[in-house]
Amino acid sequence: MKKRRFLSFLVILSISFCLTSFGNEPQVIAIRAGKIWTVTNGVITDGIILVKDGKIQSVGENVDVSEGAKVLDMSGKNVMPGMIDAHCHIGLSLDIFSEMNETVAAVAAEMLILDAFNPYSDDVNKALRCGVTTIMLAPGNRNPVGGLPAILKLDINKANDWVLVRAAGVEFSVMNEALMFDREPTSRAGLMELIREELDKAKEDKDDGFNPTRDILKRVVVANKTAYIWARNVDEIASAMAIVDEYELKAVLVAAEQGDEIADMIAERNLPVIYPPLLLSSRDKDLKRAGRIAGNGVKLAFSSLAPKTDLCDLRTSAVLAAKYGLDKETALKCLTINAAEILGVADRLGSISEGKDADLVILNGEPLQLTSGIEMVMINGNIVYQRQEE
Amino acid sequence: MKDLKRFVVLAFLFLPFLSAGAQEIAIKAGTVLPISDAPIENGTILIKDGKIAALGQNIAVDADVRIIDANGKFVMPGMIDAQSRLFVIDREFNERRSIAAELNILDGLDPYIKEAPEVAAQGVTAVYVAPGTRSLIGGRGAVLKLNGSKDVGKMLLKSDIAVKAAIGVSFNNESSSLGRLANYSSIREALLETKIYMHNKEKHEREQAEYDKKKSEYDKKKKARTTEKADKPKRPARFRLNPTREALARVLRKEIPLQIEAHRVTDILNALRLADEFDFTLILDKCTEGYLVAEEIAGSKATVILGPVTTSFADMPRLEYRNHDIRNAAILSEKGVKLALGVSGRDGASSKFVALAASMAEANGMDRDLALRAVTLTSAEILGVADRIGSLEVGKDADIVMLSGHPLDSLSQVEMVLIEGKTVFERKDQQ
Repeated sequence: MKKRRFLSFLVILSISFCLTSFGNEPQVIAIRAGKIWTVTNGVITDGIILVKDGKIQSVGENVDVSEGAKVLDMSGKNVMPGMIDAHCHIGLSLDIFSEMNETVAAVAAEMLILDAFNPYSDDVNKALRCGVTTIMLAPGNRNPVGGLPAILKLDINKANDWVLVRAAGVEFSVMNEALMFDREPTSRAGLMELIREELDKAKEDKDDGFNPTRDILKRVVVANKTAYIWARNVDEIASAMAIVDEYELKAVLVAAEQGDEIADMIAERNLPVIYPPLLLSSRDKDLKRAGRIAGNGVKLAFSSLAPKTDLCDLRTSAVLAAKYGLDKETALKCLTINAAEILGVADRLGSISEGKDADLVILNGEPLQLTSGIEMVMINGNIVYQRQEE
Repeated sequence: MKDLKRFVVLAFLFLPFLSAGAQEIAIKAGTVLPISDAPIENGTILIKDGKIAALGQNIAVDADVRIIDANGKFVMPGMIDAQSRLFVIDREFNERRSIAAELNILDGLDPYIKEAPEVAAQGVTAVYVAPGTRSLIGGRGAVLKLNGSKDVGKMLLKSDIAVKAAIGVSFNNESSSLGRLANYSSIREALLETKIYMHNKEKHEREQAEYDKKKSEYDKKKKARTTEKADKPKRPARFRLNPTREALARVLRKEIPLQIEAHRVTDILNALRLADEFDFTLILDKCTEGYLVAEEIAGSKATVILGPVTTSFADMPRLEYRNHDIRNAAILSEKGVKLALGVSGRDGASSKFVALAASMAEANGMDRDLALRAVTLTSAEILGVADRIGSLEVGKDADIVMLSGHPLDSLSQVEMVLIEGKTVFERKDQQ
């Protein structure tokens, strides 16, 4: 009697587990797929991905599936790694520009964008529907020294460790947007001088008591953390590179749309580029820029800058870039491994390979076809989105 | 000798023009997508005088006919952006006056803009341009062809497509329920006044006719000197023609549709209510939250021009798109709503994303054939130009696009675009 009660308790427990979260139990899942786009190791046709404890245990054509494994039959479907949006501003209030920019102080190094993030925002579910599993939540481009971006995994309702990196590097902006008429600096030269002053102070490392700005900037000038520098036009990119050269920064160019015009100089410095959404630029020649930048050997990742564009159009950027000259394989990398490498999380994300997080997107067609629908999304082996059949 | 050389050069220069003028063209295609009918494998399209002369699998082609080899390629009718801003000078987009139905978009066009060829190169052969959203009733729109002409008259396919109105569009991202209600009542008022105007005009015409009759009788009698001066009929008060009311009267007489831009549920329902009350042909424009009232729209006679499919085409954040759902098109077309897709982009050049918009709609559940129809034939039907464009049928304009793959395949490249049989784009690089 007691045993039976215990059993029924177990049954209820497991059912409730299934209802609240598919497969939260630490079991082995074997995903049988028609095409596996590993990104780093080519495409595997009719392969199996073995997931254990949220990690990819093995992947290949011939993978031994142990008896206890739960088999997910996705034969005929395409599997790719979860997409990474290398720069966006989701989960902030609608009045986005006041949420992501500090408009009174020009220097806002200590601004932690995570503080403005609403994890209950519908944006998160929307991102998952579109196959985006990881984002860099970034401050805006209106502060010369702009604060601390965060890297988030979007399984917010399922896990406690969805904040992958709380403060990843420091954001800077040399864009004209960072110049405001009612606060200093009001000119490019003034802006450059302000950034230099702040970096000099950090470099000097004078012990003059508590100074949060200096402590944070020390991370980029001393500890070699990444500086994310917003620069769209050629002149802005040149300004960004000047700072990078002077302080020997490890840097990433953000939204460097016109980078193709000086792609060789960017490549020389080994600066990766986070490319703005292609739907933002509508002139034809602009759509070819992304391909030209990557063609010069620059590491490229895409961003949606959501809500500037719809987060779902992250993939659209890759598709358009591929249509307008970017190598298809690279286009896929830009959505995954390149972004992971640029953000410094490639040890865990960005490809379907052994030991990495089981963040997977299952589509009913090839990834670079917009008409391919997203059927299922997994983070750490847990199903976080599944398309409902009407 | 020199003259002969000159003659030869000249002859060569003019040869293409001479031959292109009268010659027939035959496109031998892999797959023809007529849109109005099932796809034709290995079909041939015969073009004569800029029109489609014949279409099918076994079309006899004379020896002197110029042949375009489209073997293995897809051939379809030119696409239409039913929500374009191409050629429209931004400042001319809106008149500050709120009710300005008499305005014509043709007066605010810049045919010299440099983006037009780029749009045509993506297989878009016609655009519908309408006044902007800042006026409650903004004027009349027109369908233009991207035939490369700099003459608005030659680009024009049809003017007076619809009178454009807007309910509940936010300015500076501020909107209030009361403000939106005020918009609705202002439009309603304008239509009511038009009804009164029409009534008065009819009355005046009757009186005038009566007067004319009496006057001629009086004149006759006067000639015969059988009447007194006191019997002279009194001329009715002069009727002042009002161009705004005249334009709206055409809407109420169902000669021209009223296109109402409405985003939110209440605004859409108000638009449907107006159409019921005044019995005009309604085109719902944008229809952002249409999916929430799909049944109501399907139950009405309204047609829909939906867009943007993704908010990425618009300048975000915008209040109107707060509840934007990318599945909108799929849900509405599922319910049987007659639906065209537009780009509704930031600027004129955005019109080149028509096929992209359709494939996004497909990706989010819209039937592939319907999505393709929504950027060709359905648009033409809603805009009232289906007698000329929108499908490949005998007698229609030879506005034809040739692609390397299916038009909704994301990586398909447009290879060639013809408008009325003339090549407006041909892909050179084969990268």
